[in-house]
Amino acid sequence: MIKITWQYIPFHNDIAFLQIKQTEVEKIPFYIPVFYTHVYSAIFVLLAGFFQLNTTLLNSFPLIHRNIGKFYVFTVLFLSAPSGLFIGLFANGGFYSKISFVTLSILWFYFTLKGFTAIKNKNITKHKAFMLRSFALTFSAVTLRFWKVILVYLFHPAPMDLYQIIAWLGWIPNVLIVEYYLYNQLKK
Amino acid sequence: MKNLFCLFLSILLFSCNSKEKKSIAQNADSTQPEEIHTDLYGSWVGDFTILERDTTRAESEMYTNKINIVIKKITASEVLGQSVVAGNSRLLKGKMTADGNTVHFILDEPGNDKNDGVFDFEIKNDTLLVGTWTANNTKKEVRKRKFELHKKAFKYDASVMLPEEGMYIDYQNPKEEQITESESDNPEDVKEEETYMTTVYRAASESIFTINSSTQKLKESDVKNLKKLDLEILRNTIFARHGLTFKTKTVRQFFDDVEWYIPVSDDVNNELTTIEKENIVLLKRFEKYAEDNYDSFGR
Repeated sequence: MIKITWQYIPFHNDIAFLQIKQTEVEKIPFYIPVFYTHVYSAIFVLLAGFFQLNTTLLNSFPLIHRNIGKFYVFTVLFLSAPSGLFIGLFANGGFYSKISFVTLSILWFYFTLKGFTAIKNKNITKHKAFMLRSFALTFSAVTLRFWKVILVYLFHPAPMDLYQIIAWLGWIPNVLIVEYYLYNQLKK
Repeated sequence: MKNLFCLFLSILLFSCNSKEKKSIAQNADSTQPEEIHTDLYGSWVGDFTILERDTTRAESEMYTNKINIVIKKITASEVLGQSVVAGNSRLLKGKMTADGNTVHFILDEPGNDKNDGVFDFEIKNDTLLVGTWTANNTKKEVRKRKFELHKKAFKYDASVMLPEEGMYIDYQNPKEEQITESESDNPEDVKEEETYMTTVYRAASESIFTINSSTQKLKESDVKNLKKLDLEILRNTIFARHGLTFKTKTVRQFFDDVEWYIPVSDDVNNELTTIEKENIVLLKRFEKYAEDNYDSFGR
């Protein structure tokens, strides 16, 4: 993921993913700044998220957990999720992938906000549940690309047909896995 | 006629004094020698097929390539032409002898390229050009090729498309893939799985028949759902329409069999229209993206 982000440094209007988005780059105002907001902020969200899952860190250095957590919440709510919503409106693959990415960004915002308000109310169980959901969506950045490699290897689909599939496959199974885990926790 | 008159004049003056003779001789030198068989001028097009191949090594050259032998000038003492095949455009120089309805040519390529050789052919009844080519380098994989060519005129036509009955499968770039198959139909049996390698070829989609990359200004949305092979074919169809001779086998395999395709030049960049130039830039960008991102981890 860092490597994928790295190709957008230094700043260019026409590299990597943007190679096939020149229509949006030229026609949609603010596409480029919003796109770059998403790319540069989301990578830190992903990295921050990994630290938060670590219980040793939480137990031995709760202050670090809180600070990274604030950074995670702030970045998602103000930068990554809104920019994700905006670029989601112009997503590749037409209507079906647009719905997927827009839904994804709204849920991401919602889960993260709920996770934050829960801990402000000292409700740790609820905090944990919503933050896990939030990170499941954050992690879709990885799973989406992972599915792509698998599907291309197996079926050689046309690029945009593929995009419509991975748009959904990237995050729905992640959420289901987390919900299943939470359901089992609840039973214990 | 004009030349004959000159000749007559010089003979006439020959009998005069020596001073005048000298100046007339200079005049005769500077006039062009008479061109003959001008009806044979033009492009002769057809298959350039292997006749002798070094079977002790791996095959790397195509069995047939489309060749265009252009005859530009014939005089009693010299023949000038051009051979255009497999991405090479070479000047031809040599001689011809006529015998009844058959004209026999022996033409040399310049000899400063590793693929140069000698063409030896006959044109029968002004309609069929038959002959062989022998490589200068005797250690070359293919030392001899044969050809039967017909006269064809090249004309750029932006509207020509690839014929739909053609096969557009990239046999030049196979990919090995592993397939695992379960042997038994009964799930209660011991699982017998067989794994084997199979060769997969890229196949083009229908889009290469519907999109004309020379006449319509392509938008991103037109080409977004195309695979790399489609993009490559669409881009190279532009060059094929202009008669570019292709260096790579991957491209030649798609165009050599096309009726309207005649290789005429190894550089057509000055012939491209504005639409074509813009489409080439767009297609190239999508090809690069497909190469970098389609089957890799990046987006």
